[in-house]
Amino acid sequence: MPTPIPRTLTRAPALKPRRDSAVKMLDLAFLAFIGFVLVLGLKRPFLWVLLYVYIDILAPQRIGYTLITSIPVSLIAFAAAFGGWLLLDRKEGTRFSVRQGLMLALLLYCGWTTGSADFPEDAATKWDWVWKSLLFGIFLPFTLTTRARIEALALMLVLAVATIVIGTGMKTVLGGGGYDNLKFFVKDNSGIYESSTLATMAIALVPMIWWFTRFGTIIRPHWVVTAFAAALTFACFLVPVGTEARTGLLCIAVLGVMALRYVKQRLVFMAAGAALGLAALPFLPQTYYDRMATITQPSGDESASTRVAVWKWTIDYAAQNPFGGGFDAFRSNSFTYVMPITARDGNTTMIEYRQVTDKARAFHSAIFELLGEQGYPGLAIWLLLHGLGLWQMERIRARWKARKDDEAEAWIGPFAAALQMASVVYLVGALFQGIAYQPVMLMLVGLQIGLHSYCKRVESARALLERSAARKPAGGGTMRGAVTA
Amino acid sequence: MIDYFALALGHGLMVVALLRLVLRDGLDADPLLEQIASATADQRKSLSVSARNAARRARTAGDTAGDDAHANPADVDARARAQTAPR
Repeated sequence: MPTPIPRTLTRAPALKPRRDSAVKMLDLAFLAFIGFVLVLGLKRPFLWVLLYVYIDILAPQRIGYTLITSIPVSLIAFAAAFGGWLLLDRKEGTRFSVRQGLMLALLLYCGWTTGSADFPEDAATKWDWVWKSLLFGIFLPFTLTTRARIEALALMLVLAVATIVIGTGMKTVLGGGGYDNLKFFVKDNSGIYESSTLATMAIALVPMIWWFTRFGTIIRPHWVVTAFAAALTFACFLVPVGTEARTGLLCIAVLGVMALRYVKQRLVFMAAGAALGLAALPFLPQTYYDRMATITQPSGDESASTRVAVWKWTIDYAAQNPFGGGFDAFRSNSFTYVMPITARDGNTTMIEYRQVTDKARAFHSAIFELLGEQGYPGLAIWLLLHGLGLWQMERIRARWKARKDDEAEAWIGPFAAALQMASVVYLVGALFQGIAYQPVMLMLVGLQIGLHSYCKRVESARALLERSAARKPAGGGTMRGAVTA
Repeated sequence: MIDYFALALGHGLMVVALLRLVLRDGLDADPLLEQIASATADQRKSLSVSARNAARRARTAGDTAGDDAHANPADVDARARAQTAPR
């Protein structure tokens, strides 16, 4: 699995220009869409926040070729989102949560380690996009003050990722897949345009896709919405197939186990899952089987076999540098080992053992990425950030699940469950990928914080109402009653 | 071609969602929170009205019985309002 390249380094769009006019049309279409949202934001400034989410995920400035590449659309969208919130928003119920504090602590800590990094230039390159992602993750919950905004952000996340997933799924069905072969809109392994990252985030968003089929208010539940959700889920499951990302397969399994908690007929669900899996087997290409086989035989694959070596190296490195070596600290590692190389000649299969030397192998795990780059303090903050999120979502889910009859509140429990499942899928995927600062996940963290704050506000408003209601019967009779209440 | 189709479909859905967001209520002020706040305000209002009524009844009863003949009615009313005002 390749190392994600920072988004600012390269720009290699996969959409090959056939004609100049077509390329210009695409750029103009992107600019028209961005301009459209900027204009709509004049009436509802929150839409500028959604515009930044869209630009950060889909990166239209890197899909296009001409005009759009020279305009700092991301900066414009962030300035509009922050300025709109600062100057025009009501900011009602805005609060700074513990988890925002944790993200701020991580941001400051990362800034400090960047200053004394082992590889200052590489560290500065990674810092350039990490601080933006963390800052936006801290800022996002301030804007999520209403149900409509929480839902709108979730919808924008789903639709932006869906735009990539739909293309990936269709190419897989039509036979254009393969590890490192499937062409995304942007072919530089940055952001979400890295096969394993896309597979993880696509699977993580599946519960939220289905949430919209029951509780959506922006696009109301309808059979068309359900049909689209089913097709999109299928496309999400095709991402690990098309990209042959092993982590994605693991994420699907984790999602299946998590879903057992919420389905009513577990046996039927398990049987249907097994039947679907078996039915899909004949359609999978041989390369997929070969790559998945390396899950159980990691010694036969360079990407998998070096992971364990890198992880051991990181533990040793952290013992010597407990406060971390800054971003890209892995660049100092080097491994020499013997690996079996399989060669086929007719019916004969030969296995030859060769000595392989690997240098600067990436961490291949968010846990070890943090341990190596930010040391034990950074890892502790990150684990606390996500652990607290799982716990908060569990509490919300348990507390609000009984309120199924009230339309205004029935959405909260299932939404918390969807966010919790997204977290678990991400965390499992992050065990095998260096995606500790993945922007989409930081947006999901922002969404979790926004939901938690919203629930707190509803609870405190309701407590106030109950207190004032408790006074009324006492005050209904005599003057004394009114006073004592 | 697939890329163009996916981009068109995704952006089309986003346009629909954004237009609906602009046209709907409740994006900037939450209906549920406003409903609870309004119910709380109503409760307090009715509470202060009932407190005023209770004070008036007490005043009338005091006048009739003659045991509170020297009390200032305005003081009683103000005291009732002060004691039942939202904290």
